[in-house]
Amino acid sequence: MRFGRRALREARRLLRGTVKSGYTRWRRSIQVRIVTSTLFISAIVVAILGMFLMQQMSSALMDGKVKAARLQLDDGLAQVQRDLGNSTGDGSRLNSTIERLKARSGPSGLYEVHIRDTTEQYFDGYTTNELRPESVPRRLRKELKNAPAGSRAYTYGELSYIDDRPSERGLIVGGKTGQFELYYLFRLVEEQRTLTNVGRSLAGVGIVLVLLLAAIASLVTRQVVIPVRLAAQGAQRLAAGRLEERMRVRGEDDLARLARSFNDMAANLQEKIGELEDLSQVQRQFVSDVSHELRTPLTTIRIAADMLYENRDTFDDPAVGRSAELLQSQLERFESLLADLLEISRHDAGAATLDVESLDMRDLVLRVVGDIQGLAERKGSKVVLQLPGEPCMAEVDRRRVERILRNLLVNAVEHGEGEDIVVSVAADRDAVAVAVRDHGVGLKAGEGQMVFDRFWRADPARARTTGGTGLGLSISREDAQLHGGWLQAWGEPGAGSQFRLSLPRVAGAELRGSPLPLVPPGAGDARPLFAELEAGE
Amino acid sequence: MTAVGRNGTLCFLAVAGLVLGGCATVPSGGQVVTGKPAERSERVDDPYVRLIPVNPRPEWGPAQIVSGFLAASASFDDDHKVAKLYLGARTGWNPGLRPSVTVLASRITEPQVVRATATHATVKVTGQEIGTITSDGQYTASPRALDTSFQLAKTSQGTWRITGLPGDDKTGLLLSKDDVERAMRTVNLFFFAPDHQTLVPNGIFLPVVNRRTLPTQLAQALLDGPTSWLNGAVHTAFPTGTRLRRGVHIDKDTATVDLTKEARAGNVEQMSAQLGWTMRQLSEIKRWRLQIEGKPVAPDGLEYTQPVHAWDANSPDGQVPKGEHHPNAYVVSPSGFIGTLEGDRAQPRVIGAAGRLSRPAVAPDNQELAGLSAEADQVFVAAPLTGSPPPRLLLTAQKDARFTAPTWSRDGTLWVVESKKDESWLWLRPRGRPPVRAAHWGLGGREVRAFRIARDGVRAAVIAHIDGRPQVQIGRIAYAPGGTLDVGSFLPVSSELQDAVDLAWRDYSTLAVLGRAQRDSQTLPFLMPISGSAITSLGVGSLGEPRTIAAAPGAPILIGTRSSGKDQVCRQRAPSNSYSPWICPTPAKDPDYPG
Repeated sequence: MRFGRRALREARRLLRGTVKSGYTRWRRSIQVRIVTSTLFISAIVVAILGMFLMQQMSSALMDGKVKAARLQLDDGLAQVQRDLGNSTGDGSRLNSTIERLKARSGPSGLYEVHIRDTTEQYFDGYTTNELRPESVPRRLRKELKNAPAGSRAYTYGELSYIDDRPSERGLIVGGKTGQFELYYLFRLVEEQRTLTNVGRSLAGVGIVLVLLLAAIASLVTRQVVIPVRLAAQGAQRLAAGRLEERMRVRGEDDLARLARSFNDMAANLQEKIGELEDLSQVQRQFVSDVSHELRTPLTTIRIAADMLYENRDTFDDPAVGRSAELLQSQLERFESLLADLLEISRHDAGAATLDVESLDMRDLVLRVVGDIQGLAERKGSKVVLQLPGEPCMAEVDRRRVERILRNLLVNAVEHGEGEDIVVSVAADRDAVAVAVRDHGVGLKAGEGQMVFDRFWRADPARARTTGGTGLGLSISREDAQLHGGWLQAWGEPGAGSQFRLSLPRVAGAELRGSPLPLVPPGAGDARPLFAELEAGE
Repeated sequence: MTAVGRNGTLCFLAVAGLVLGGCATVPSGGQVVTGKPAERSERVDDPYVRLIPVNPRPEWGPAQIVSGFLAASASFDDDHKVAKLYLGARTGWNPGLRPSVTVLASRITEPQVVRATATHATVKVTGQEIGTITSDGQYTASPRALDTSFQLAKTSQGTWRITGLPGDDKTGLLLSKDDVERAMRTVNLFFFAPDHQTLVPNGIFLPVVNRRTLPTQLAQALLDGPTSWLNGAVHTAFPTGTRLRRGVHIDKDTATVDLTKEARAGNVEQMSAQLGWTMRQLSEIKRWRLQIEGKPVAPDGLEYTQPVHAWDANSPDGQVPKGEHHPNAYVVSPSGFIGTLEGDRAQPRVIGAAGRLSRPAVAPDNQELAGLSAEADQVFVAAPLTGSPPPRLLLTAQKDARFTAPTWSRDGTLWVVESKKDESWLWLRPRGRPPVRAAHWGLGGREVRAFRIARDGVRAAVIAHIDGRPQVQIGRIAYAPGGTLDVGSFLPVSSELQDAVDLAWRDYSTLAVLGRAQRDSQTLPFLMPISGSAITSLGVGSLGEPRTIAAAPGAPILIGTRSSGKDQVCRQRAPSNSYSPWICPTPAKDPDYPG
């Protein structure tokens, strides 16, 4: 019972699977759809046509048979009229008449005959061979009985026999002349056989026709669908960036035109994209060149400025000394801006390379925090470390990761409003992560992504003179991506923000998840207002 | 490219249209298709007609019940089911498949109620009886007036029913001649002549219940043995007690006859010959198989399934020569010799005194010749059949007596009848022995004009004066238990001729008779079937005054005539066509085929 139920379930599952896959195929493939509908519609049409043909043939056959039968009956009635006239026929004359009429009866003959004299009360006429008189239906007898003399009638019925032969369908025609009723009974075995044969042939031809139509539909749609599929594949490849992809052009038909238009489009696209690439290349090159070219005069300016700065106390006018200090600080800022520009142009040019070594992330974090400790104290912030007990080894580029961490910490200190800064490190099998949490003003909705834009500032009113270059987070993100890692930000106005760096343990491996949550636990409501996911997207 | 494609499509459509159009019409030409002629010459399984009886009506009186019963008893459907409805509950009457029949000249129309009470009645019927058919199928003519009566009683439902049938016979039917002709068929059963080689047909009346049971009825009738007429004259190869295990089964054109175990004692070849000859009368049977106790048996030299036309060696006509090689007829030439007829010319064979005999008859082995003197009062024999053998006197007639033309049977016995106005004697002379008179001669008190032994040696056809006019009759030759010869049981063949001059056996079932039909004024040749069917006239044209006739299986019928004082032998221009005109090219007389 249980087994049966399981089998039933299994079968139902299988059926559902088949239906589902069929439906999927039906939805996915024009060819399947067209062939199925052709099969269905042509089967209906052929069936209707076949039935109509059979009907026609059957009625034509029967019409011919009835016509012939009535002629035979007329012949027989004339014979009866001649032999018996209107006289009261005694049995022997009726007997001799049917003796003459029987000649063409019998199993090998055309028909059976039944004749009766309505005035004879002691017997019900004669029939030929084995025919039973019940073969003449009562309705026909009644019809003839009430009909005027000389009328004829016919109907269809079953011919039965006195031997063990099965009864057969037949056509029964009857006529009346004087007091005599004459019935001719025709077997319809041959007609039935003809109709059966024709019906079988029609069915066979119909099936072949339907299959042929389906095959034709399949062939025709194939001719249309294959180029369409090729075009779809080409478009897919084009979308994937293979701009050199083209379609084969064959012949001069509509599909060839489609292919040619597609190819034209692809060529245009390729050209335009090439132009754009060239243009951005030129721009990057220009930035790089400008940065390099600025370095040389800057070095000279730097030397002069250093000298001025060292001797600032010697100036009489304190305002000049103050200017030398300002020059010094702005020069440093200019230098770092230039360095950042160079770095970012290297990234843009794809010239940035990784110089990986296996390092414990805790060491890196400790060192950077040590560097930043002074700044934090000045701002009144305390840096709280949450480090795991065991080492968090990862293959990383020391310089770049240190730069990222420093960037994040400096940002946190600057925007931390003197509150505590929490730095946590975590690791799992595939990845390590560092999160930097501050409790400053936080980020507004949408700013989590914008923070990584070049030269973006949280407060546009803030002077350009203060703060970083505006490129730090962009470069950090480029560095993280160079490792195959993510750099993501979360923030809420008034609740502070958190930046999370996730890196794969092995350089270049794909990152699937982060050991640390992006949204710090206990911050705001459980559902973050916004959460930026993979930075790569 | 496109233009070519379009033209191609048009061509294809045109061809397809032509082909389809050709298919859809009735052919108007083509080769000639030939087929075999349908072999439906036998009468046995021709279409037949059945009478449809009606059930007795409750309001019918005694006379109507008797009329209805007499009509219904002509229907053999469902074992006389309807006729039995006319009978009272305790009236046992079961005609079965082989009833005994009283044949009446016409239907009884006016039964008379001679005595009637409230519950009982006696109904008298009168009619003209012309003969009876016994339950073994033998017809015997017995013209007399019929006067018999039925007893009826009223049942508790108030309807009249027959309680007493005429006579003691519980199976008898009273049928009119028409009823018999419609409901019964004459078929031949075949039994062996005393030589155990030649088959003898035995015609019987068999009711046609339906065509499917006809083979079974036929085989059953054969196993039941010969009718009383041939009893003692023929042998059957089936051992006593042999029956059919089941009905004769027919599959396509092959019949299977399954006999009970008694048949193991019988001679398979002879049983096969009898069954084969009997069943070949049914056109649907082409081959058949003999089984004993369900196991097939094969006669020597044949397969288990044998064709019905095997066993030609046992033909009642003896060995029928194939094709055109029938024996040459002998004629008496006016030039004083007896010769064979080759083409239309007589070639001399016997000359001298023997060559001047009249009505010469040649023995079947062509060794001996018998003939009459010119006045037909002496019988001579002569041998051999060449040169001028001396005629030996065999018999001399009494005063006023004449001899019929001598006739030979197959074993070389010479038969001749000596006949006076109202007396006759049969003489026979076995080869090498003196002539003797037959001990029992059925026509001893009648004048006999012609006497011919059939080729089976068992039957004899005669023209005898009965009731003042010559009648063709058939008798049989039997041997009484003491070994004495019994030639008798003569039965009339046909009553359609009012005069007959001479006859000859055409084949085992047909006589060629010179006679005068009821309405004719001229003596003409007729073919007369032994079964009693209608006679057919032969040929057209004038024949002068025909005197003798000669016939043999497969040979043209020859007639000796005398016209304007000259003897001529006439034949049909095309013997295969029975309407072919008569021509008389040979100046000779008394033609006869040997045997």
